[in-house]
Amino acid sequence: MTYLLEARSLRKQYADKLALRELNLQIAPGEIFCLLGQNGAGKSTTINLFLGFVQPTSGAAFVNGLEVAVHPLEIKKHLAYIPENVMLYPHLTGLENLALFSSLAGFKYPAPALLDYLTDAGLPAEAAGRRVGTYSKGMRQKVGIAIAVAKHAKVLLLDEPTSGLDPKASNEFSELLRRLSGQGTAVLMATHDIFRAKEVGTRVGIMREGELVDVRPTTALNARELEQLYLTYMH
Amino acid sequence: MIRSIAQKEFVSIRRDRRFAGLSALVLVLLLVATLVGRASFRTLQQERQLAQTTVNDQFRNQPARHPHRVAHYGSFAFRPKSGLSLLDGGVDSFTGSAVYLEAHQQNSVNFSQAQQSGSLIRFGEMTVAFVLQLLVPLLIIFLCFGAFTQERETGTLRLLLSQGITLRQVAWGKIVGYSQAVALVVAPALALAAALLFTGEEFASNTDLVARLALFGLSYAVYFFLFVVGSVVVSATQASSRAALVTLLGLWIVGGIILPKATANLGATLYPTVTKAQLDADVHEQAQHGINGHDPHDQRAAALKAGLLKKYGVDSEDKLPVSLAGVQMAAGEEYSAKVYQQHFAALNATYERQNRLSDWAGLLNPYQAIRSLSMGLAGSDFAHYVHFQQAAEAYRYGLVQRLNGLQAGMGYGDKERRLDAHTWRELPVFSYQAPSLGWARPRLLLPVAALLLWAAGLCWLGLRLISNFTDL
Repeated sequence: MTYLLEARSLRKQYADKLALRELNLQIAPGEIFCLLGQNGAGKSTTINLFLGFVQPTSGAAFVNGLEVAVHPLEIKKHLAYIPENVMLYPHLTGLENLALFSSLAGFKYPAPALLDYLTDAGLPAEAAGRRVGTYSKGMRQKVGIAIAVAKHAKVLLLDEPTSGLDPKASNEFSELLRRLSGQGTAVLMATHDIFRAKEVGTRVGIMREGELVDVRPTTALNARELEQLYLTYMH
Repeated sequence: MIRSIAQKEFVSIRRDRRFAGLSALVLVLLLVATLVGRASFRTLQQERQLAQTTVNDQFRNQPARHPHRVAHYGSFAFRPKSGLSLLDGGVDSFTGSAVYLEAHQQNSVNFSQAQQSGSLIRFGEMTVAFVLQLLVPLLIIFLCFGAFTQERETGTLRLLLSQGITLRQVAWGKIVGYSQAVALVVAPALALAAALLFTGEEFASNTDLVARLALFGLSYAVYFFLFVVGSVVVSATQASSRAALVTLLGLWIVGGIILPKATANLGATLYPTVTKAQLDADVHEQAQHGINGHDPHDQRAAALKAGLLKKYGVDSEDKLPVSLAGVQMAAGEEYSAKVYQQHFAALNATYERQNRLSDWAGLLNPYQAIRSLSMGLAGSDFAHYVHFQQAAEAYRYGLVQRLNGLQAGMGYGDKERRLDAHTWRELPVFSYQAPSLGWARPRLLLPVAALLLWAAGLCWLGLRLISNFTDL
């Protein structure tokens, strides 16, 4: 069994705080793993370690079998990332932003293809030619989704990607995730949304103070039970 | 990838209204400075040409006179403005423009613009060089200070890097993009300057000027590139945009204002110059040790006379084939010219040492490197001024000695006679040929080396520094 994402005894110690304690985690192709936990529980640190933006104190993170710290550039070909608050270049239009980020990933799409990615992500076609400076947070988030999708990566790293999206857009995003997972994409998503985690995730993990305290398949519990479980750990 | 980033920066900058306002201002300043420079260049050039032709005509059209009267009547040498001085006036405003050429003494070059102009020069001239050397770097700082800090603050940098590019590539992309934007502001002004220069009939086919202008443009390109790279590197190393801006402005003040003043003061302290009064007194004192052609009782004059009598095998002055007074004049001139040369050479050497100190400071401060390189290329630096001074003195000495020769050839009793008016028409008039770029090259090597060292060092060290950042 090859895992697309793997953490082996991954640990991150900051001067004043232990951000992540001995994380062991494997995510297979097609899996959607949702990380639940309070702010500061270590969800973002985990994602940053997989991205190579933070260097581990000990242990190692692997993307598609490659150690992140050793191949910081190579692993980026295999993953796409959507932050909680997608920030783009305000003087460029939505289309131009997507074209820029795609070209950096090595994709040269013609304009109609770019527009398709944006409208598929839920952005109104008329907005695509407007400067991003005029966009709402939700619209930027949709461009972020389009950027990630257009990269055709095997791994998606999502840091509360649906924040700022209206319920309809969130729902469409869940659909998208299911479709991608059906195609074999592995997803690691940090979220506060327990119900969406239950709905879209294949497994959920609960983090507390830098520690992954529990991992459950979502089929084993309903949303209420999951919420109960979460609340027990938080007390 | 670098090209994508560069493209993004270039497009973003052009769409940024603040940049548009600022760069329009700088562009207008540059264009105005070029036009004003051109106008004042024309006026000065015409004035000096007219003055030179007038004095040359007056000199040649003297009536029948004794040659030594002609030597005392004298002439003037006016320094023509160099072609590129309309872009960089260098020290031209402070050095003199005209020198009175006469027998017995080497006068200093007088009538600088600073001596005769009103407030304009005292309050600082608005030249193209000033805009290029100090204001464009300021524009670059405002343009680039947020290069990395802003992307880090908003989080776009993370998204950028998650696409699989390195910080080094991001930095190069930004450098290329910003450089394009700067070129957009500066190139029109340089193009206008070139057009103005080469449409003027006086420079129609002057390859030396073309080479100087090309190097001028190239030097500033390197200078601006330095600031772009430096600003990007500083932006990458600072925690916030505010800190980056304050750091960059601090460096600009140190490099553009404090260091040049400090080196100038240091130079004046280390290598003090004599005052004009002191120089005049010293020269006068020493010149007295030579033959005074006007004093028949002078002892050395008597020795010279004895030597001449012996040489021609005669026993009295009236039997000599040459005029004794003329020979004495020539000998006196030779001596006094040497004295003047020595003192002026010593003074110039002191100035040179002071300037050299500033040139060496260019290794620390690119502003001082470009300043001396720029005025050297424009032909308005101190070395070019000294070249004129020496050409004028060489002409003066040649002229006076020729007149002394004429006097000597008149034989005994020359003082009672005159030479015909047509004699003066055959004398050469002063016509100054500014030195070529090849002549100026040795002095320009140090500033060129300083600029290139800075560029290479910043690219190498700075970008190493940038790519060594690991935690975001």
